[in-house]
Amino acid sequence: MRKNLYDTVIEWIPEGSRVLDLGTGDGEFLERLIVLRKAKGEGVEINPDLVTKCIERGLVVHQGDILDGLDQYGNGAFNYILLLGTMQELIDPQRVINEAFRVGKYVIVSYSNFAHLRARLQMMFIGKAPVTSSLPCPWYKTPNLHFCSILDFMDFCDDIGAKIIKSAYFKKSGQVKFLPNIFAQYAVSMIEKA
Amino acid sequence: MNEDEKSMLEGDLQDRVITKYHSDLGITHTHIVKLPGFTTQSGYELKEIEISYQTLGKLTPNKDNVVLVCHALSGDAHLAGINTNTGRPGWWDFHVGPGKSIDTNKFYVICSNVLGGCSGTTGPASINPDTGKPYATEFPPITIRDMVKTQALLLNHLGIKKIFAVVGGSMGGMQGLVWTVDYPEMVHSCIPIATCIAHTAMQIAFNEIGRQAIMTDPNWCGGYYYDKNCRPEHGLAVARMIGHVTYLSEYAMHKKFGRNLQRPPQPEDLFPEFFSVESYLQHQGESFVKRFDPNSYLYITKALDRFELFENRPAKEVFKNVKARFLVISFESDWLYPPSQSRELVKHLKRCNISTTYINLDTPYGHDSFLIKNPEFSRALSNFLNAEYKYITNNTNNNH
Repeated sequence: MRKNLYDTVIEWIPEGSRVLDLGTGDGEFLERLIVLRKAKGEGVEINPDLVTKCIERGLVVHQGDILDGLDQYGNGAFNYILLLGTMQELIDPQRVINEAFRVGKYVIVSYSNFAHLRARLQMMFIGKAPVTSSLPCPWYKTPNLHFCSILDFMDFCDDIGAKIIKSAYFKKSGQVKFLPNIFAQYAVSMIEKA
Repeated sequence: MNEDEKSMLEGDLQDRVITKYHSDLGITHTHIVKLPGFTTQSGYELKEIEISYQTLGKLTPNKDNVVLVCHALSGDAHLAGINTNTGRPGWWDFHVGPGKSIDTNKFYVICSNVLGGCSGTTGPASINPDTGKPYATEFPPITIRDMVKTQALLLNHLGIKKIFAVVGGSMGGMQGLVWTVDYPEMVHSCIPIATCIAHTAMQIAFNEIGRQAIMTDPNWCGGYYYDKNCRPEHGLAVARMIGHVTYLSEYAMHKKFGRNLQRPPQPEDLFPEFFSVESYLQHQGESFVKRFDPNSYLYITKALDRFELFENRPAKEVFKNVKARFLVISFESDWLYPPSQSRELVKHLKRCNISTTYINLDTPYGHDSFLIKNPEFSRALSNFLNAEYKYITNNTNNNH
């Protein structure tokens, strides 16, 4: 599922692009992107052990939180800013995305869909905060600070003056085309400043 | 006690009490070469200079594996391996050697004593060829750039035109930065560790206390103590004690000494408690005095305080020609050269489009974190060097 999502992101990025990957982890994806797309890529990661792994891969990476990472760069330093899987963990996603628009032209964001059918059913029939394969942690352990659905994300983009250029939706078995706000567990969108 | 804590309590290799130490390099030597001098940044012509240096490992036929290590305030050319004169290991033996972070099986490692130093390179204690007497305070004020120029003369003498990596902590990091700016074509990569682009008032203040301790010692005699049978040892020892406190962290000191007493109260004691930390600092001071020249301490600390990488020019202009790729390392517990100073450097580099990786390690041992055994630090260092070396060797192969 995540692999499909990551493959889609790679497809979206033209060869030779300049890419900043926020929350780059051990750098596996960034390395793939650099190799497959001949991208000039850099990463931001807060965990020093993961930064050390990125260094081992020969990646250029900045240790710090996402806002600190973005602050290192001048205006328009990148074509694409990647915010994969971390938007819902940010205290102030709006601020991060605005700052990302300063540093890059396009922002590619992925998130978990809180209005997925299974989550809806659990809320409806069990009456508890949902725990599903895409939202695996109970409410008190989840790193997610913000829960949103695909429709919520669209509203969010309207609100912050961002335009969605393209989106793709995923469940376990692959892409979702039909009623994604019900059937997709993950979504990824490419946005730019409206 | 875990391994990390043990490493911390063992401390660095410069002044710790060494009872038994095994170096994989065995016995190593330093050499001294005499070269024609140059005009210092302050305009003084040094007619000739002697440079003490050490090389470890083997130079590859295409001379692409040179790692230049620049030492900090109290370091010297004896980087690693056992020094037969002192019976002690080199100051960075934890990190330099076969299979270590700076792998001598792979890299040709060079380290030289800085200009103004007192371990073989020309400094205030050296003979002034004009007078036939030690320079003392006739020695010209020097700068970090003068130190780098001295190293450049040495490398030229050794027939080396490319530096794969220049590595250094603290003052060594400043030299690394100057290398990338003053000799942009020579340097492939640079690892500045726990350093800054200019001292803050607090850093200058600590150095000034040290200098005052030396200069107010009645044995200093305006710096002309070389022909007397006393030196301002007390002043230098106090300077070292102050310096040493700033290199540690509250955590490291408390962990190491707590409120332990060094010995039971003696009838002749003025105060009943003699704390372990007092005894430790006194030992640090005493052992430093044996190996360091007080005038060198004045000149080198002043070079540190005067250092300003940009020298009132915009960063973009200073970094215009820089080709090096950077790994900047700082330590969370370092309050003398705090991570904020490394971040300032990183931001300037990145905003000038220079490839820069930054890692702030959470090791709790203060500024000295790069001098002690430190597995996280070792890993970051070796990962970067290995990845970069792979990068340059692949690129050369592709060009053929």
